[in-house]
Amino acid sequence: MATLDPTSVKRRSPLNQRHVTSHALFKEFGGNLLVGHYGDIKSIQEEYSQAQMLAICDLSTLPRLGFKGPGAPSWLETQKLKLPTLPNTAKCQHTGSLVAKLSDQEVLILSDIFALSNDVATLSHKAEIDHQNYDKQTYILPRGDSHCWLAVTGTQASEMFSKICGIDLRSHKFAHGDIAQTSVAKTNAVVIRNDLGSTPGFYILSDISGVEFLWDCLLDAMQEYGGCPVGVSALQRLIKSS
Amino acid sequence: MKLLTCPLNGKRNISEFTYGGEYHVMPDHRTSSARDWAEHVFFHDNVAGLVTEWWCHSASSFWFLAERNTITDEVIRTFKADEIYQQRVEFTAPETEV
Repeated sequence: MATLDPTSVKRRSPLNQRHVTSHALFKEFGGNLLVGHYGDIKSIQEEYSQAQMLAICDLSTLPRLGFKGPGAPSWLETQKLKLPTLPNTAKCQHTGSLVAKLSDQEVLILSDIFALSNDVATLSHKAEIDHQNYDKQTYILPRGDSHCWLAVTGTQASEMFSKICGIDLRSHKFAHGDIAQTSVAKTNAVVIRNDLGSTPGFYILSDISGVEFLWDCLLDAMQEYGGCPVGVSALQRLIKSS
Repeated sequence: MKLLTCPLNGKRNISEFTYGGEYHVMPDHRTSSARDWAEHVFFHDNVAGLVTEWWCHSASSFWFLAERNTITDEVIRTFKADEIYQQRVEFTAPETEV
């Protein structure tokens, strides 16, 4: 399989060097370069099995965007987004993107992991036009620049999290669509429960400048459960096979 | 472990919070003297007893208020700032002759 050179694109993950060292094979999704799978470690099928048990995946090059301010939720609803009713919950859109309501005045929008949804680009463009004339306060937040985006998947994920996070993330306490804004490995993070097919999944968004630290902490924590990094192809297969 | 209840995120370890100082009613910045403004910004009453304080839940950057007894360190209640602040305060400078 031909792989792409991450230096050929404008935007690379801050974990790029770690991926290259781990012999990652890169793939392009909607103009974004992600690790497809790790070449000499496991095949995609093995990574798929790994993702069902315990795995971590870097999604930091996928599009994401935030809006904050008293007028933000109502403006987003005019853009035909279905917002969750309660703060700290997330809702999947028909386009595949995920809308996370972080408070009554703050919303985060994440692309789907196939990068098929155009919501982030559309909203970013519309915000530039609309907000100049919008009489309520709405502020755009460039979450793609401020926050890394990691996915932790697998049946053992919640047990692994109990080592580094004070919130009980077990399924009967923290269901699909729930959000915890808390500390993970002493780092501030937004944890979103977003199952991939029938496999438990957690998205972690944290300060992008500390992603190498967080990545290493998560790898260290998942070592005793046999967890390891996988490419996005394994996660996509979790959704497709459901 | 010491816990504090964030009005948005619920009960959390105190290490997730940052203290933001005493709450005071803000004087009108257009009419207050420099002394009164400095008093509001820089000085604390340091009351022994019931006080209202600003706290921030760092993971969500959510600012809220807490009523706390500084003698017993008991937190009476925490509440969202919109109980007090219903609209944005505009800091427009008074027009001055040049």
